[in-house]
Amino acid sequence: MIETRDLVVRHGSATALDQVSLSVRRGEMVALLGPNGAGKSTLADTLSGILSPAAGTVRIGGRLAHVPEGRQLFPDLTVQDNLLLGGWRSGERDTAFVYELFPALAQARRRRAGVLSGGQQQMVAVGRALMSRPDALVVDELSLGLAPNVTRDLAGHIVRLNAERGLTVLLIEQNARLAFGMCERAYVLEAGRVVAQGPCAELAGDPRVVRAYLGGAIGGGTRS
Amino acid sequence: MSEFLTYLVNGLAVGCGIALIASGLVAIHRVTGVVNFAQGTFAVIAGLSASWLLGAGLPHGAAELAAVLIAAAAGLLTGLVAIGRRGTAPQSSLIITLGVAVLAYAVEIVAWGDQPRSFPGLPGSVTLPGGAEIQRHHLLVVAATAATFVLLTLFFERTYPGKALSACASNPYAARVIGIDVTRMGLLAFLLGGLLGGLAGVLVTPLRPISFDTDVLLMVNGFAAAVFGALRRPGLALAGALLLGVAETLAAGYGYAAYQTEIALGFMLVVMVVQASRRATIHEEAV
Amino acid sequence: MKRALPGVLAGAVTLALPAFLDDSALAVYIFLGLAAMVTVGVSLLMGYAGQVSLGQGAFYAVGAYTAGLLTVQGGPPLAGLLAAPVAAAAFALVVGVPLLRLRGHHLAFATLATQLILLSLAGQLEFTGGDIGLQGIPQFSAGSFEVGGAAGYAYLTWAGLALVMLVTRNVIASRAGRGLRALATSETAAASSGVPVGRYKLAVFSLSAAFAGLAGGIYAFYVGYVAPGSFPVLLSVEYIVMAVVGGLGTVWGAVAGAAVITLLVQVLNVVGTLPGMPSYAPGVLSYAVYALVLIVVVLFLPRGLVPSVAGRLPARRGRSRPRAARPDPDLRT
Repeated sequence: MIETRDLVVRHGSATALDQVSLSVRRGEMVALLGPNGAGKSTLADTLSGILSPAAGTVRIGGRLAHVPEGRQLFPDLTVQDNLLLGGWRSGERDTAFVYELFPALAQARRRRAGVLSGGQQQMVAVGRALMSRPDALVVDELSLGLAPNVTRDLAGHIVRLNAERGLTVLLIEQNARLAFGMCERAYVLEAGRVVAQGPCAELAGDPRVVRAYLGGAIGGGTRS
Repeated sequence: MSEFLTYLVNGLAVGCGIALIASGLVAIHRVTGVVNFAQGTFAVIAGLSASWLLGAGLPHGAAELAAVLIAAAAGLLTGLVAIGRRGTAPQSSLIITLGVAVLAYAVEIVAWGDQPRSFPGLPGSVTLPGGAEIQRHHLLVVAATAATFVLLTLFFERTYPGKALSACASNPYAARVIGIDVTRMGLLAFLLGGLLGGLAGVLVTPLRPISFDTDVLLMVNGFAAAVFGALRRPGLALAGALLLGVAETLAAGYGYAAYQTEIALGFMLVVMVVQASRRATIHEEAV
Repeated sequence: MKRALPGVLAGAVTLALPAFLDDSALAVYIFLGLAAMVTVGVSLLMGYAGQVSLGQGAFYAVGAYTAGLLTVQGGPPLAGLLAAPVAAAAFALVVGVPLLRLRGHHLAFATLATQLILLSLAGQLEFTGGDIGLQGIPQFSAGSFEVGGAAGYAYLTWAGLALVMLVTRNVIASRAGRGLRALATSETAAASSGVPVGRYKLAVFSLSAAFAGLAGGIYAFYVGYVAPGSFPVLLSVEYIVMAVVGGLGTVWGAVAGAAVITLLVQVLNVVGTLPGMPSYAPGVLSYAVYALVLIVVVLFLPRGLVPSVAGRLPARRGRSRPRAARPDPDLRT
């Protein structure tokens, strides 16, 4: 469903991604771990077509939606308008299913997205992505800046979307505990290269991964 | 008192013309981050074309409509040059629109000569109960501007393309994430800017003859008003424009006509500097 | 030194040229030099301090009016010429304190507004001669030496330009120049590394005004009268065109840009006044060439015609409004 081969992406003269190859099969949920500056968000932007690769290939077997890092809502637009605009590519104009999925948003539909709580904003971001009726979802830093219980709740939604609707998910996280809890398989990205990959159970036993990503508390990933 | 009322309505009409130019500036700046120096040019193009088309025998209404459409086309062309090329930074785009404005001089002189042109607006006047006499064309300008602002608001808040434009203004990165072509939306904003500038041109030309180089004054006035709304808020820009129009007209009416320019520009400078220092304080607090 | 060779060569050619030129060619030569003087300042301001001034014509006007006012009443021309850059710099200092709080297009419009206000005032005030301006400015003289012919003004102009270029070169090479370079790249970064951003910007702004003022002073003596109509907004645009064409932030680029544009416009003037051409042809042709050259250079040659010398477009600094784009963690270190 999602496949990159020897992907190279540059920001000016700096190489952000260096020969990254990864694949996510249809219906699979895969995690991508890595510290700040590793190139995770660059990968997300490249998958969603905002950045173009300098070399290598990206293959997406269906419609891909992107929940960007930091939510990236339209803060001065209402929740309803944020969701509606999510249907720009798909032509979807019916937002009812999003409110069914996230009942908490139903009362907030006329409020400006910028004034919502972090958790609600993340719901809008996920809802907006779902409005494009995607086959695959790239979720960038779901847990960023959210309280643990809010994160758990959202993570539960993602897991259900994957299990019940067969949505393919690439979960980009700094929080390895969360990612390992949700996914079967993971890639570890450092300084633009894939440095480790495999089943989460195996990676969780890799001493380098333990030291770098499981040593601290939740959210206490390393910084480059 | 009746004299004052007449000046007031005159001033509102002048302010409305400024407001239309300002709203075009705001629309383009919100979506693209570019301050379009050719905004006054659109008004000049429309004013000159309308006068030319009327001279060629087109009836009122049709001539003005065609002139506004010509201005809209000019807006789109300006946009294509200014932001059509990938990776053009807003500051470069400002310089490009400056180039477009100068290029327009050449085109306008060849097409319509270098002498000021005008055409008659709505004839006649109405007398208010207090004895104040008000030209009907002034009322037309005010009404048309009011209608335009209502339509603009509806467009941005109620229609899907309008919402998409607002989205590009609100968060261009997010707009790209959901698949909106931000450059194409920028071109739409330039088209809208051309339309609004053109409308200003056909409405204002009967009040003051227009020539190829009137654009600087129109542009600077429009920018002064737009700055009042920090180049982002059309409502405040409208308020700024009306204030500016009334202040200028009153100054002229009570014998300070010579200082109109100083009033408008001084107003703009003060607003900008105050805004900048306020922003600086906010920024320092935020850090 | 090999590096000095082009400079020496240019100097020799500059000195020799007036002997071979007739009066109308000398006029072009003088205006070219004056334009180059102003453009060096614009280029320094845009390329190093990252600020766009659409009002450089205002400083040119201040210099011209200063020289004119001081000498019309019989003051010594040398004092008038020396006062021209000083007055322009002082004026820039005064308006610069509030205006340089503004950035990007705000500053561009503020400087444009300054010029419009100044012209409007000059057109109304008694002592500046209103719209008619100042007539009968004497020939330039210093002591018993009087500049009579155009050749004398050519030497004066190019001596002024040499001085301007020398000063600029030294500024760029100095410690302050390195700070300025940082300023052009990123104001925030420059500030956080201890560059006194505000003071540097003000200094460059005033210096560029002084250059324009000097050019304006020479202009006043050469032409013999000044009026508001001599300093249209388009004049300021021309300097931007020249600076951008030559390559921002480069001394030679500014001179090259001024030369290319002045000569091009001159050629078009000749073409435009050929028999059979409509009366508006010279104006139309020069507008068109300014515009097209500016647009083409900004789009396709953003580093200018002298790209070997690192000319940086201030535009690279990105948007001057707060960028709504997401802070990219992959770019953070």
